[in-house]
Amino acid sequence: MGSVPLAHYLALASGLFAVGFAALLVRRNALVIFMGVELMLNAANMTFLAFSRHHQVMGGQAAAFFVIAVAAAEAAVGLAIMIALVRNRNTLNVDEVDTLKY
Amino acid sequence: MEWLSAMNPAEGLQNALHWIVLFPLLGAAINGLLGKRLGRANVHLIACGAVFASFVISAIALYTVSLGGVARITEVWWRWFEIGGVPVEMALAVDRLSAVLMCVVTGVGFLIHIFSTEYMSHDEGYWRYFAYLNLFVAAMSLLVLGANLLVMFVGWEGVGLASYLLIGFWYTDDQKAYAGRKAFVVNRVGDFGFLLGIFTLVGLFGTVDFEQLRVAASGISPEAVLGGGIFSGWTMGGVITLACLLLFVGATGKSAQIPLFVWLPDAMAGPTPVSALIHAATMVTAGVYMIARLSFLYAWSPAAMATVATIGAATAIFAALMAYAQYDIKKVLAYSTVSQLGFMFIGVGVGAWWAAIYHLVTHAFFKACLFLGAGAVMHGMRDETDIRLFGGLRKEMWHTWATFGISTIAITGVLPLSGFFSKDAILHGAHANPNLFFPWVPTVTYVLGLLAALSTSFYMWRMFNLTFHGERRGMLDHHAHDGGNAMVGPLWVLSGLAVGSLVWGLPLSGGARFENFLKPIFRSAEENLARMTALGAQEMGVPVPPAPAHDFAAMLPGYLIALVVALVGFAIAWYLYLGPGKAIPAKIAQCAPALYRAFANKFYVDEFYDLVVVRPLNATARFLWRVVDSFAIDKLVVNGSAVITGWIAQIFRYFQDGNVQRYAVVMAVSAVVILWVFLG
Repeated sequence: MGSVPLAHYLALASGLFAVGFAALLVRRNALVIFMGVELMLNAANMTFLAFSRHHQVMGGQAAAFFVIAVAAAEAAVGLAIMIALVRNRNTLNVDEVDTLKY
Repeated sequence: MEWLSAMNPAEGLQNALHWIVLFPLLGAAINGLLGKRLGRANVHLIACGAVFASFVISAIALYTVSLGGVARITEVWWRWFEIGGVPVEMALAVDRLSAVLMCVVTGVGFLIHIFSTEYMSHDEGYWRYFAYLNLFVAAMSLLVLGANLLVMFVGWEGVGLASYLLIGFWYTDDQKAYAGRKAFVVNRVGDFGFLLGIFTLVGLFGTVDFEQLRVAASGISPEAVLGGGIFSGWTMGGVITLACLLLFVGATGKSAQIPLFVWLPDAMAGPTPVSALIHAATMVTAGVYMIARLSFLYAWSPAAMATVATIGAATAIFAALMAYAQYDIKKVLAYSTVSQLGFMFIGVGVGAWWAAIYHLVTHAFFKACLFLGAGAVMHGMRDETDIRLFGGLRKEMWHTWATFGISTIAITGVLPLSGFFSKDAILHGAHANPNLFFPWVPTVTYVLGLLAALSTSFYMWRMFNLTFHGERRGMLDHHAHDGGNAMVGPLWVLSGLAVGSLVWGLPLSGGARFENFLKPIFRSAEENLARMTALGAQEMGVPVPPAPAHDFAAMLPGYLIALVVALVGFAIAWYLYLGPGKAIPAKIAQCAPALYRAFANKFYVDEFYDLVVVRPLNATARFLWRVVDSFAIDKLVVNGSAVITGWIAQIFRYFQDGNVQRYAVVMAVSAVVILWVFLG
């Protein structure tokens, strides 16, 4: 351990973030968009952990736990919204769910 | 109630003075909050009892300061506030002047409360009436007992409020509600001057306490130029004149003098006992009392004294003339009150302070009796006030006729009733006291005062004859009747006092009793006035005039003139309204209609004020309402900003199109731009 340099972690994290963000932008299925968001969150988590280890401070580790907790809460709320969507509109396609507008 | 057990009344009073104010205040609170449930008898008991309790304490106070060897009793109720290094205490003080006034206020007030229990017996709002009446007595006590100008001002405003509430007591009648508003607004004009006067005195002496002011104002030199403070560069006498004139503005409002007298005749819209208590006996004399309180200051200012005396004389004759052609029994009495108040201001303006206070006291007795008598006539005549419909009431209302007659003799100044001595003490002071700086003052005030006395005699006897003598002219099917004991009793007590109070004014060799009684109060004023006269004599290069004599021999010519004047007025009124000249008044009205209309319409003073003050103010208010408030503020500023926001929102609303992913793109691009700007 200790031999993997910081740059590798950051490269992996940005890669993950880019994949997640691409999913967020191009997919139409709400569930897949949600998975993209989870990827982005974990990319952020990885940078926290990498810097925490690099600088030998524990704040980053703590932040990661917070992010995990928030992600869990968000997943619960998000999945509930999606269940409600399927029940009411029988679809998960975000292009069809755009009534909240001017 | 520690004072009851105290051996020394002076010591006890130091802790009991505030009960004079508190009893009626509590009565007002109880009757005002619970009166509707308490029932008539309890309301009467509480209201009359509260005032009687105040009267008992006032009587003890009067006894203490006149015979107890104590000149002045002060009670610091609580420390009120301190501002700019000037401490102001809620302090009450009683000396001979305020003790006399307190006994008049609570004593006459008590009698009028008793009278009211019967007079208001058919009114639904009796509990409201007695609550207001008690509130008035409390405020008036505060005004009289206040040991400094600010406590006096609190009472001053309080009586104004009570007066407003009682004038508009029957508020469902628009005209009566309007009369209440008029009284309040006109008084506010005066109160503003009063307040400025207080500020001026604070700026000059740094205190509002009467005793401290008296000490500070003794032995000053009025020509000294002030070096510091807000009046830097003014002379001492100049600032005192300014303060006295500003305070006098307040007095013209409260005491209905020219130019602010217009509210008092309209104040007759209130119940008649209210007119007796507030608009004749007590509240309207507050201005006279205030000037007597501050006599030591007025003495330093010949200009202010001349103004007070001249305004008083002008008001006395002007109001008396207005009473000539009035047919409303209460309006005649109202103008008579304005006129008699003018006499009191002559008194305080020429330095005959004791005479002014003496006239204040006797006037309180006989004018309260006259007003209550008018109330009794109205009570017996189905609330009619037009004296053209009366006549011959003597046979039906014997008690009212007798007491009204006694009081009329008193007010017209016929020997030997109290009004004769009090009025002539003022007239004597007017022509005997010189004002070296304004040498015309004695002549003008004396002549106008005599003419006013003649007029008083004429219009009072005219009213008396038209009401009680001759034959009934209207309401022929109605049989009038005297009131019950609660109404007749106070009438007899008051007319008895109107007769009995003459003993204080008899011109004894050592001066009148009342004069000697009040000597300690006005000693500073006399000293200051003598000093001012000496300065004036020095300046003009004339010898110092000797002090005017007050004994019987000196007063005899004045007495004879005044008596002749009163009898001439009586004779004219008898000739024109009972005797062979009955047709003459109608003929005068016919031959000189313009003159008659001018008299009947009170010389168009109300119309003049309406044109000069009320309409421009209304127009300004309408402009502020319609243009500034409704248009500029409401329409342009408030609604305008909302409309513009709406327009902008019309454009930007299309950015919210409901597509989640487009929001995500915008957010990402924005984040990149922000990062670029701040990091790159």
